Amino acid sequence: MQDDPTLNVNLTRALGESRRLADSIKPGSDRWDVIVVGSGAAGGMAAFQLAMAGVKVLLLEAGRMIDVRTEYRTMEWPYASNRRGRLPPGERPIAVAEYSFLDRPYGSNPAFKKHTKVLSYAGNQFTRNWVVDERQHPTTGTPYSWVRARILGGKTNFWGRGALRYGPLQFGAASRDGFDVDWPISYDDVKPYYDKVDVLLGCSGTNEGLIQVPDGVFQRPSKLNCVEVAFKRAIAKMGRHYIPGRAGVTTDGVLNNKYRARCAGRGRCGRGCDIQAAFHSPTALIYPARDSGNVTVRPYSIVSEVLLGEASNRASGVRVIDANTNEVLDFKAPVVVLGAGTLDTTRILLNSRSTWHPSGLGNSSGLLGCYLSEHLMGIRGSGYIPARIGTETTLDDGRPVSPYIPRFRNLTDRHPDFIRGYHFQGGGGCAEYPTMAHEIAGYGKAFKSSVRRHYPALISFGGFGEVLPRKENRVTLDAAIKDAWGIPVLRFDYKFGDNEQKMARDMADSIEEMLAAAHAEDIKIEREPLPPGWSIHEIGTARMGDDPRTSVTDRFCRLHDAKNVYIADAAPFVCGGTQNTTWSILALAWRTIDFLKERLRAGDA
Amino acid sequence: MQRAAASSRVEVSRRVALKAIGAGIGAAAALPWLSDAGLLAFARVQETNGPPQLKVLSPPQFEALEVLVEAIIPADDRSPGAKQARVADYVDLLLSENDRELTLQWIGGLAALDAEAMLRFHAPFSRLGADHVDAILQSISHNEKAPRTALEAFFVMAKEATIRGYYTSATGIHEELRYKGNQFLREFVGCETEDGRDCPHCGQKHLQP
Repeated sequence: MQDDPTLNVNLTRALGESRRLADSIKPGSDRWDVIVVGSGAAGGMAAFQLAMAGVKVLLLEAGRMIDVRTEYRTMEWPYASNRRGRLPPGERPIAVAEYSFLDRPYGSNPAFKKHTKVLSYAGNQFTRNWVVDERQHPTTGTPYSWVRARILGGKTNFWGRGALRYGPLQFGAASRDGFDVDWPISYDDVKPYYDKVDVLLGCSGTNEGLIQVPDGVFQRPSKLNCVEVAFKRAIAKMGRHYIPGRAGVTTDGVLNNKYRARCAGRGRCGRGCDIQAAFHSPTALIYPARDSGNVTVRPYSIVSEVLLGEASNRASGVRVIDANTNEVLDFKAPVVVLGAGTLDTTRILLNSRSTWHPSGLGNSSGLLGCYLSEHLMGIRGSGYIPARIGTETTLDDGRPVSPYIPRFRNLTDRHPDFIRGYHFQGGGGCAEYPTMAHEIAGYGKAFKSSVRRHYPALISFGGFGEVLPRKENRVTLDAAIKDAWGIPVLRFDYKFGDNEQKMARDMADSIEEMLAAAHAEDIKIEREPLPPGWSIHEIGTARMGDDPRTSVTDRFCRLHDAKNVYIADAAPFVCGGTQNTTWSILALAWRTIDFLKERLRAGDA
Repeated sequence: MQRAAASSRVEVSRRVALKAIGAGIGAAAALPWLSDAGLLAFARVQETNGPPQLKVLSPPQFEALEVLVEAIIPADDRSPGAKQARVADYVDLLLSENDRELTLQWIGGLAALDAEAMLRFHAPFSRLGADHVDAILQSISHNEKAPRTALEAFFVMAKEATIRGYYTSATGIHEELRYKGNQFLREFVGCETEDGRDCPHCGQKHLQP
């Protein structure tokens, strides 16, 4: 293997710190008021809010610490290695088609026999040290492309930065179309928290006054470039909006965070932003929380279950399996906040079995694991905007996100084929890599010149459609298969339904119609959805509600079954609209912790 | 090459550049920027122009491959072609890290190309003049969407790799595409109609709301 500096990231500091922390923090080595499980958007926000209120927190991360000075290789050019972005031999991500055609668990499939490390589709040269090895983390059941990152900050280290709010159309969805139930809370309950998240973390966008995606407290927007303005003008005639994307990235700077600078317009945020303008949980939340002196971070801490105390409805702490030593460590605290990510939080609860709760803690209703939802992806369209063909290269991608076509279905009208809706994200113009080259026929000077001519004119979009929350879409614990630490794995029983199929057809037709309206040339439409799970927007498997018979948590994300166990991630979400999930996780987690702080203050946590 | 000169700027460390940005210096927008690792690798791969250190292909195979990739993306008035962008080196490395099966496909394809050249022009592919190379590419590039012969399939495979190798090279990105991103900006400009002006970049007029 050639010596490749792009693969030899120096992790000495992060690994040393991780071992030191894991070795020194043991049950009884300190007293904590609250245990927070997970360090991504959910756990990060929970730990931060508690720490700022003077609450002593033990933050448990299943992976290692991260070195944000060396691991975010934001500006690395592809030619930094002659491998040009391919993973080294022995490592490989699961390919799109393999998710549907290979048997589960994926990692133990003969197709990967010669590989030492099998990554989810999100594994690449920048994320390869963060995303989990499918061999150690199997899943069974129906196909599902579950992306997990075990590293301080979790998936926020490489998230897509889409920072969209749920609005009245989501919180009150059932009232509008009669499907399923409304959230027990309204947009007005959450709006103040969205506002505070915008201010604390920085959110770039424009106020548009659209009910389908409420406005926020925005910083300098990611403006549209020339080719996008041409498209915007074309679809405006159809009454559709094409607006700057909303990004969880500070473009004007944030107060009181010495770790973060404002956006410098380089693009490539998905590799991790090395000046921390993009929201990454470590620098935005965890380091400041730790600086308060109130947070102890313990890496390598895989939580297998929530432990019960002397009463059936109170947890006493969590059981941790050390990722390196396999040592079993029972950490105790008066309150447990789970923020391991929707599906891992659900798995921990399902695995918290006791005589009181034989099918898992929080599962008295029998609904824990049900109502798994996310977004349907894969329906895409592209074309060339004629006015931009043959023009000179312009700087078109110096911003954190592409623009966005907000949902336009089932707002005031009622589509005959499906309920709910979808949006498109995408844009165009000159990018680092001219993907259209693979579509242009021929060779030689004519080919090269054709690539050059079409390069500034390409515009492309991908849809995000709401997957209806349905009880039968669920996860359970697999009775036979365990992960590398002996914890039962999740078995998926999840399929797109009739509403999703019909919505997908309309998505393809509508993007084709919009590209045609812009007189785009060489329109290409992809009509097949990507595998389930692709959106990484999983929600709903511990849904909130006021009635313990039909929900898992109350309206403050506290388990009906255990009054001192809270969920900070998206597991309690009732339905997810078309919006990317992270900003709602942050807002709801803050709200949950405000409630918990009141309970602590009242001595009733 | 615009960025080749950057090797003398290795000492522009990330820290210094960040400081400049933090201080809000306008000139920072013009800072050429590579990670340290990127600079070193870049310097090695792109600037040495040393002889290739072949891992899989024999020198004659490599020579034929260089002719092929250059025929697919040739040098022109604007920029060098795939040969100077070292696309053949990229393919050789790619083969060294993949299944033997893939290598056999490439070696087989190059051999078939030679056989075709011998049959039609009585010389190996790497010795053909530009006209003859073009004649062969003409005939094997007919059915790109649905190749029917082994050579047509090989053309599709070679073209995919050439595109990947060329447009991820410094030559492809900076000289051919003249890509302008991945720079520190004070602010992303975009289309100036968004700021309520006629746009000098695209000529679109500001529309009164």
